[in-house]
Amino acid sequence: MKLLQNIGKYTLMLTMVFTKPKKWKIFLSRLINELENIGISSLPIVALMSTFIGGVIALQTASSMSNPLLPKYTVGYITQSSTILEFSPTIISLILAGKVGSNVASEIGTMRVTEQIDALEIMGVNSLNHLVLPKIIAAILFFPVLIIFSMTLSMLGGWMALMITDLTTTETYVLGLRAFFNPFHITYALTKTVVFGFLIVSVSSFYGYYVKGGSINVGQASTQAVVSSSVAILVANLILTQLLLLS
Amino acid sequence: MIEVKNVMKSFNGQQVLSDINHQFETGKVNLIIGQSGQGKSVLAKCIVGLYEVDEGQILFDGRNFTDMERFERSQIREEIGMLFQGVALFDSLTVEQNIMFPLTMFTNMTKGEMQKRVDFCLDRVNLSGRNKLFPAECSGGMQKRIGIARAISMNPKYLFCDEPNSGLDPKTSIVIDGLIKDITAEFNMTTVVITHDMNSVIEIGQSILFIHQGKKWWSGDKNSILTTDNPEILSFVYASEFMKEIRSIMQEKRT
Repeated sequence: MKLLQNIGKYTLMLTMVFTKPKKWKIFLSRLINELENIGISSLPIVALMSTFIGGVIALQTASSMSNPLLPKYTVGYITQSSTILEFSPTIISLILAGKVGSNVASEIGTMRVTEQIDALEIMGVNSLNHLVLPKIIAAILFFPVLIIFSMTLSMLGGWMALMITDLTTTETYVLGLRAFFNPFHITYALTKTVVFGFLIVSVSSFYGYYVKGGSINVGQASTQAVVSSSVAILVANLILTQLLLLS
Repeated sequence: MIEVKNVMKSFNGQQVLSDINHQFETGKVNLIIGQSGQGKSVLAKCIVGLYEVDEGQILFDGRNFTDMERFERSQIREEIGMLFQGVALFDSLTVEQNIMFPLTMFTNMTKGEMQKRVDFCLDRVNLSGRNKLFPAECSGGMQKRIGIARAISMNPKYLFCDEPNSGLDPKTSIVIDGLIKDITAEFNMTTVVITHDMNSVIEIGQSILFIHQGKKWWSGDKNSILTTDNPEILSFVYASEFMKEIRSIMQEKRT
């Protein structure tokens, strides 16, 4: 029952978010700030995670290649496909749900408990549109950039790990990366990313915006935002995979 | 003038406001007083539309705010300035940006015109030259004054102040009270102040509404509140030993 109530409240919230901004100049200025807060500030963590996990994927694949019938370029192929299909769009999005989601929920939640949102409403500002829309648009615009960046670094990390351990040659690895490459997989990954970005920011904003109480409640809302947006990502991942790859 | 007609409000079945009728007059500082938890802030939040009333009407100079759509309400809200109990300054913006915010949002002023208005408002609250500070770098009293500067930046017709003196020392409280009284007269605003500070009642109580158990219990001015025989008001006004002492001196003088 509570879940249904929350879904209804979330839908109503979105109808208030997606309205025309009062002043486009202010919206653009906030959008640029959010691109920096949500997007650019996430580059270091995405770079770190992608490089190391790309390396680990390549090493794990190489260590399992005991069957001589498997071609050597399989290491590159598996690194490429697992990175493009799942690791970069989904796992990085789950990591971003933790970083961006908690940040969004606590920022908006603090504004709620310190009456800053009431102050906006009293002035006649649509606070949901003013606060949440630039964050959602920033996530939709910049998450695909982060994911392409992650894919590149992950495959580079795989190559570095293989070179350091001398398990294969650059030519074989690159051959594997290019083998059976399906450009639609990039479309699939970026489509998922856009949906995940939207879910992370909107779900986290929902928990922040409707928080009641004080700092403890803001902390709880922040945790709840991360948990719920992660669950939303997992459910959406399953549905999108079914729709885009199997139908 | 703001008129409150038969306003009722409850939360989870508990009646918080019962049949409140009152008029807040233009050009005067109108106080809403009462003990904590009696419904003062709820009434103020109902008036400005942060809470929807269950029954009754709120009229701003005859315009029925209660039945308005969101768009129409935003037009009235552009005429309202509010100082919150916790000030509610935007902590990511500087003092100047806080005061400029409603101007950039709702007017077509040029940058120069906005800067002039910001400087005027800061000067009016005796904070000239503090434009580039962030709220966290300001003292409590300064934050209240910045809140007032932001509230008057749009030249509002209605000013609401929720516990403007909470957390301030008595001397700073008097400065804030004086400021509210002066700007009310200067801009001919309808000012509503929610307080339980007796100093404010004596300093600026031109019109007073006493709320008790969610009801309008009494109304009058600062002179009549000191002489009323209403037991609930007596226990509120003369709660401290100091005020009791003053009362006995006043009674002695009368006899």
